[in-house]
Amino acid sequence: MNFLKLLLGNRKASIGLVIVLFFVVLSVAAPLFSDYSPTKRVSRPHQSPSAEHIMGTTRMGRDVFAQLAYGGRTSLAVGFGAGALVIVLAIGFGITAGYFGGVVDEVLSSMMNIMLVIPQLPLLMVLAAFIGEASPLVIAIIIGCTSWAWSARVIRAQTMAIREKEFVSAAQVLGEPAWRIILVEILPNLISIIGAAFIGAVIYSIMLEATLEFLGLGDPTAVTWGIMLYNMSNTSAILIGAWWEVIAPCIAIAMVGAGLALMNFAVDEIANPALRSHTGLKRWKLKQAQRKKILEAGKQSLAKQQQVPL
Amino acid sequence: MGFILRRLFFYLAAFMVAVVINFMLPRLMPGDPVTAMLGGRGAMMTYDQIEALRQTFGFVDGPLIQQFFSYVSSVFQGDLGTSVQSFPETVSTILGRAFGWTLFLTGAGTLLAFIVGSLLGILAAWNRGGWFDSIVSPLSLILQATPQLVFGLLFMFVFGVTLQWLPSGYAFSPELTPEFSWLFISDVAAHAILPVFTVFIVQLGGFLIPMRNNMINLLNEDYITMGKAKGLSQLRVMLNYGARNAVLPSVTSLSMALGMVIGGAMVVEVIFNYPGLGTVLYNAILARDYQLIQGQLLVMTLFMLFFNFMADILYLFLDPRLKHGGSA
Repeated sequence: MNFLKLLLGNRKASIGLVIVLFFVVLSVAAPLFSDYSPTKRVSRPHQSPSAEHIMGTTRMGRDVFAQLAYGGRTSLAVGFGAGALVIVLAIGFGITAGYFGGVVDEVLSSMMNIMLVIPQLPLLMVLAAFIGEASPLVIAIIIGCTSWAWSARVIRAQTMAIREKEFVSAAQVLGEPAWRIILVEILPNLISIIGAAFIGAVIYSIMLEATLEFLGLGDPTAVTWGIMLYNMSNTSAILIGAWWEVIAPCIAIAMVGAGLALMNFAVDEIANPALRSHTGLKRWKLKQAQRKKILEAGKQSLAKQQQVPL
Repeated sequence: MGFILRRLFFYLAAFMVAVVINFMLPRLMPGDPVTAMLGGRGAMMTYDQIEALRQTFGFVDGPLIQQFFSYVSSVFQGDLGTSVQSFPETVSTILGRAFGWTLFLTGAGTLLAFIVGSLLGILAAWNRGGWFDSIVSPLSLILQATPQLVFGLLFMFVFGVTLQWLPSGYAFSPELTPEFSWLFISDVAAHAILPVFTVFIVQLGGFLIPMRNNMINLLNEDYITMGKAKGLSQLRVMLNYGARNAVLPSVTSLSMALGMVIGGAMVVEVIFNYPGLGTVLYNAILARDYQLIQGQLLVMTLFMLFFNFMADILYLFLDPRLKHGGSA
């Protein structure tokens, strides 16, 4: 709850949240916004935007806006689903390694480090290629299983720092079981880091999904933003000049990414006040100026007092 | 010395993980893996050639461990098998040919992003809270959250196809032959502008934001105040006192970024039809040329490890504490 309040109190974060919510509402309530089916031929091919088809049609005569709205369901679901998987794995690996230390930490840390140095996109390509036309669910799972290492390392480091605090020692002395210390004492202190890592993982997963599908590793019958780009490039929409087919999914992906990035920028500032650039800094400068004025005034009156006896 | 040895051992372990993944995946496929991997194109190959391929991928009669050692030994001999798609060329030849272009593309884009990003980061930190900082910093974060795919397609569409300012495909004009002449070099440069710029713009934030944050933390240090108190010029304090120390972490992340981008810039190559690893791989995916897809994972991993190792060595120079047996 605290986290949400902090997000809403920050201007950048609020803008980001509004952008992301816009796309969530658009895709969840897709039937309300578009009368067309995203997978049916509803018009002649490659029609430019008109009142009837506000974002034009594809080579197959499908409505681009309907595809965008319905595609958002899958793309956002993959993004948030993979992001959730990343964060669950990262919390599991990170806290376990950080809290227990010793051999457990050695083993888990080497796993994290190895995951970090194996290039992810090439690895995903090999996985997806052997799986064959990977469905959005499969893509979400393989992205989730290969992107947790970075967040896990951050969470591990923070857990190690918190473990040294008195309140954790106190709980240990009281004889609390490890799982309770982790859940009640440590996890709540990691919330801002976990929040930032989750948002980052969602951005990353949406980008990766689109990339994999664009490269032809996805299921071509699915309706997602990545598959829209795949079909667009397969039908040479760029060369034909069907700009609406290029722009629509590109803008959607970029906007969602930007919205989430703005939210994360704010989370960063909340977690590390030194980086703040707006309200906090202005207030600090204001106070500084006030202090100076008071000091000046004090000096002047002091000088006057000193002048009197002379 | 202990530090370097430990890192090398770690990299060997990481490489073996990639090898194990490559070894296991075909064995998880239903049916005879070699037949499945060859698809319908096995017909072009002779019995001997197919047998050689079995040998390379360790499909020999014997327990799994023996198969594994057969595969490992062919990997360490640089034998990654034969490409099905452009038979009878070997995977190593094809990847070797494409690699130079990829290194050029990603190297130029990343280096440019490092230089420009660091400079902008210094300025943003110096003017923290000013108009420059409040525009540039969020903007670069947004740029970073936009995939190369999107930038690539938009640049291609706007500059390559609609305005036709720059060539939109290939590394050089097909009528030219590669030679060391001004004509050829300028042609290569013109073809590289759009893809290099795409790599650059996506990476920019990755160098700008850490530089800005490092610099902000450093500007609170006493020696900065000391520099200002001595009456040194703003520029001198900013660059010689602040930036010089703030840039250290960025130098190592530059090396790692190079390793990472080589894998990540594949999409850019595909969009601009650039003849690097990405395009080779894209065609391999379309043709389901599994040997090539597997080979690139090993090559990419190797380069990622190489650049990580470079970063380690740089660290050793930049942070002398590590030389005396400290831990990384």
